[in-house]
Amino acid sequence: MSAAGTSASSAVSLVPPDQAPLLARPYYAGGAPSPIVGALAHVPELLGVTMAFVGAALGESFVSARLKEIAILRASAVLGCHYCVQTHTVVALDEGLDRAEVRALCGEEPAQDAFGEDRERALVGWVQELAGQRGPLDDDVQRRMTGCFSEPEIVELTVVATATIMLNRFCTALGLPVSDATHARLRAEGLA
Amino acid sequence: MTSTAEAIEDGVLGARLWFYSNYHCNLTCTYCLTESAPGVPRRELSAPAIVAAAEEAAEMGFTAFGITGGEPFLREDLTRIVARLASIAPTLILSNATVFNARRLRELAALEGLPVQVQISLDRPDPDVNDEMRGPGNFAKVIDAIPKLLERGIGVRIATTVDDPETADPVEMERLCELHRSLGVPDCDHVVRPIIRRGRASGGDLGRGVAFEDFEPELTITADGAFSTPFGPTVTGGRLDTDLLVTRTTSPLRRPAAALMQIAGEQSAGQDARIGIR
Repeated sequence: MSAAGTSASSAVSLVPPDQAPLLARPYYAGGAPSPIVGALAHVPELLGVTMAFVGAALGESFVSARLKEIAILRASAVLGCHYCVQTHTVVALDEGLDRAEVRALCGEEPAQDAFGEDRERALVGWVQELAGQRGPLDDDVQRRMTGCFSEPEIVELTVVATATIMLNRFCTALGLPVSDATHARLRAEGLA
Repeated sequence: MTSTAEAIEDGVLGARLWFYSNYHCNLTCTYCLTESAPGVPRRELSAPAIVAAAEEAAEMGFTAFGITGGEPFLREDLTRIVARLASIAPTLILSNATVFNARRLRELAALEGLPVQVQISLDRPDPDVNDEMRGPGNFAKVIDAIPKLLERGIGVRIATTVDDPETADPVEMERLCELHRSLGVPDCDHVVRPIIRRGRASGGDLGRGVAFEDFEPELTITADGAFSTPFGPTVTGGRLDTDLLVTRTTSPLRRPAAALMQIAGEQSAGQDARIGIR
C-alpha cells in the first residue's frame, strides 16, 4: 500500500503530494509522507501542532528510546492498533529490542516474562494497566512504577503512553494502511 | 493597527476578502476553474456565515470584499448578502451576467448608492467565437445586461479570459475594447487574464499552469475551508483541489488569516513573480 493511496477499509484517502495543502508541504518535501501525515493533511491546521506534539512526546528525550518503544508497542498491542503495532515493531527492533521482547510486547507471549529488569517489567505492567483498564490504576501497579522511576520519568512515560493511545485510536478509526516500507521490513525480519 | 492590517499595508496580504458563495452555475464554460454547471453540488456558504466573516474581516483590517462562484446571482439571497457586505466595504461580484431577468434587476434596487461592482466575463467581440467557450446566447445576454446594470448605478467591470494575454490578437482585442467602451465600461474597468490550467481546463493545452507564488495572497472563504487565492478552491474531476488550501477552519476568520500571513511571509522576495490576475 502506497502512502498516497488508500486501503479497502480506510475511512479517508491519504492526501497525495500534488494536493498537499500549503501548511502541509514541508511534510511532503521528501515525497509521499507517512499515512498519519497523509490523513492529517486533510486538516492542515492540525497537522503541524499534532506532529510537533507527537514528535516531542515520542521522539528523543531524557527517557531512553528503548523504554519509550516498550511503552508504545505494549500500548498499541493492548489497544489492538494494527498500524501502530506493525510500524513500531520495526522501530523497536531498530532501538535494540530483540525478537522475543517484541513478540512479548505484541502479546504473543506473557509480556512481562520477556524482560529481566525490574524497571522494564514494571513499565510493561503499568502500560498494560493504563491502556487496558478503565478508571484509576491498580495500586500495586502504581507502586511498582513509582518504585522504579522518578517523577519526571513517570510524567514523560505517561505522555508517551497516552499519546500512543491517541494515535492508536486515530489510526484504527481511520483504517490507515501500513506503509510499503514497513511491510517490506517486516517481511525481511520474518515478522510479516 | 491589527497584524492583518499591517500585512495588508505591507503588501503581504491582499486587502480583499473573497467568498465562494456557491459552486453551481447556469453555464458550463470550457475553461471553468470550478467545473461549475447546473447540476454540480452547490457547496453554498450560508448568508450568516458570509456576513459574520465580513464583519470580523472589517475589524481585522480588510477593506474590500469579493464574491465568486459558480454564478453567485443564482442564489435567491445574493442581493441581500451583497447589500450587507457593501454597507461594510466595497464589494465586487464575479458574474456571467446571464441571469438578470426582470425580477433580479428589480431586486438590484437594494444596492442603489452602495459601492458595488459586478465583474462580467466577456471573452471575444464576436458572438459566435465568444459563445464557443461560454455557451449559446451568452454574448447577447451579456451585451443586454451591462447597460441595465449601469442604469441602476451598479458598477461594471469586464473580465476577458484568453489562452495567453501576451499572444492575443491585438486587432480582436481592440474591437473588444471598442465594444466595452460603447457599452459604458472604460478601459480602467477592463481586465484581461489568462486561462488558468486548473479545473475543467486542466486536461487540455489551454492556459498556463500556476503555483502559490503566482498569485497575490487573497484570503478566500469557501464551504470547504479557506484558500490562499480565489483561484485556489478549484474542482478537478469532481474533486476539490487542496494544494492551495490554507485551513479548513474559516471561523473565527483570524485563524486562516494568521495561517495565510505565516505562509505568505515565508515566501522570499525572489519568488514574487505574480501574474497579477483578477
